[in-house]
Amino acid sequence: MLQVRHVWKEYKIDNDVIFTALRDVSVTIEKGEFTAITGPSGSGKSTLMHIIGLLDKPTRGEIYINGKNSADLNDDQLSTLRSDFVGFVFQQFNLINKLTVLENVLLPTIYARKPLPYNPNEKALYLLERFGLKGKEKSYPNKISGGQQQRVAIARALIMDPDLVLADEPTGNLDTKTGNEIMKLLKELNARDKRTIVIVTHEPDIAAQARRVIKIRDGEVELR
Amino acid sequence: MSYFLFILKGAFHDFSRNKLRTFLTSLGIMIGVLSVILLIAIGLGLRKYIENQFQSLGTDFLYVVPGGTTSGRDSNIRFDERDLQRLRRIEGVEAVLPLAQTVTVVEFGGKSYKGFSIVQTSDEYLSARNITVEYGKGFTRQDLEKHAKVAVIGARVAEEVFGAPVNAVGQTITVQKQRLTVVGVAEQIGGGGLGGPPFDSFIYIPYKTGFAFANPERKFQGFNIKVTNSEQLSVTRRRVRSELEKRYDPEEVDVLEQTDILNTINSIFGALNIVLVAIAAISLIVGGIGIMNIMYVTVSERIREIGIRRALGARKFDILAQFLIESTILSLLGGVLGILLAFLITLGIQPFFPAYIDAISVVVALGVSSAIGIIFGVFPAKKAADLSPMEAIRYE
Repeated sequence: MLQVRHVWKEYKIDNDVIFTALRDVSVTIEKGEFTAITGPSGSGKSTLMHIIGLLDKPTRGEIYINGKNSADLNDDQLSTLRSDFVGFVFQQFNLINKLTVLENVLLPTIYARKPLPYNPNEKALYLLERFGLKGKEKSYPNKISGGQQQRVAIARALIMDPDLVLADEPTGNLDTKTGNEIMKLLKELNARDKRTIVIVTHEPDIAAQARRVIKIRDGEVELR
Repeated sequence: MSYFLFILKGAFHDFSRNKLRTFLTSLGIMIGVLSVILLIAIGLGLRKYIENQFQSLGTDFLYVVPGGTTSGRDSNIRFDERDLQRLRRIEGVEAVLPLAQTVTVVEFGGKSYKGFSIVQTSDEYLSARNITVEYGKGFTRQDLEKHAKVAVIGARVAEEVFGAPVNAVGQTITVQKQRLTVVGVAEQIGGGGLGGPPFDSFIYIPYKTGFAFANPERKFQGFNIKVTNSEQLSVTRRRVRSELEKRYDPEEVDVLEQTDILNTINSIFGALNIVLVAIAAISLIVGGIGIMNIMYVTVSERIREIGIRRALGARKFDILAQFLIESTILSLLGGVLGILLAFLITLGIQPFFPAYIDAISVVVALGVSSAIGIIFGVFPAKKAADLSPMEAIRYE
């Protein structure tokens, strides 16, 4: 479903100093997987996540999405893929505080370029209810707890029915108990709903809960 | 549909969170729109005022003046009694009123009064001009033929020299060393300045009397011709022209209608008004720069929001549209406030001056303020749209 082939990411720090964040990384994500990308901070795992999520472009190498090379796509086409191929969950939740919980969940649908085969409003209400957020639809994100905010973010990631849910340190801003609840939810989405999930985490405990673990160190995939 | 709803909701949320900032930003546009609309309203009012004054002078008059009066190339010719006799014989002419006018000082009771004109004309003048003699009577044909030392004075002359018009009749005034008996006081007409001749400041005397002291050359500056039928005005005008051209070169003499004079005055004031409006429009540009400034601030405050929206699938165009809509609303808000305030001020001055706001200036003002919002919003919005999604979402 998604193939990362020989990807390099280099940043020019100074005129002659080049920092290599990713070094010849190749990763394949198959449909239905629950994969954790893990590694110490500065290992390049976040860079890899941004590249997989099409927020950033590699310096060299290719990303194939359902067999299509992302390098051939223009900015609008990449935006379309971010709209319907990926759903993001962030460490900082990244909800928009001036929109209500329900509006935050619906936000990706207003940027949708294709007609949705379901009623977005009904689907949003269903997801919120399923995630234990019934009654919070009209609340604003800064008025609910961190665990609730992250569940809103997960509902937002699912509203477009994406092929891939990409979670960047989804438990990083939460206490252990709440973090475990979020992990439970993600695992359930994988097991029951057959969602493809990739999480990025530096915590070995969290990574251990995934069915597959990709370790990154110094910009390279660590071979077991 | 909900796309705009989402953008509008976001915009209004930001406006209400920064009420003062929003108001101050719109204020620039408000002041610009207000001054442009008010100046246009005053210009329109001025035009209407001048038109009304000229209408009240009558549409059945032709004006014979030295050539070039309206084009600026003055010819020096003056008319005489021979022209008067010839013009009177033209078909369709009801009355020919000769005019020789000089500014003068009026002396009475040891004091002198300035700012009046002595108008040497015929006995028909007041009746042809529909000016009623309120006290006493006008001078007659006999007064004219006998070179009688009589005068009819305007209401303002009577007011200033004698205190009240009633006191004036029968008194003797001295004008340019010539003693004249006041036989009548004309009703108050108004006018003067832009509103046509200042009738109230005139001292009317028989032109033949004037030959003896004020006008020894026996020349006239022009004639007012009253026509029998105002629908035949242009026909009579051609006859008057050809009669005059028997004696003068075509460039030496002009025969004008009311509308010619009106058009000349209107074109002068129209040009002046355009200059004023153009100066006022500069404040619109200043207002636009204010909007641009605030939009740059807004964009840098919301980099993270832009990153989130991009990650959720917004295209560059969606971000561009979002910020353009915000700057346009901001500018339009100022425009609407400016129009409302201009309406209130116009209502306030209408009892004194016929200023009015026409539909075109409202439509243009709304169009211009939207255009300013778009033009000055485009650079900040472009900056927002061109942010890298990855850097924007990681922005602290």
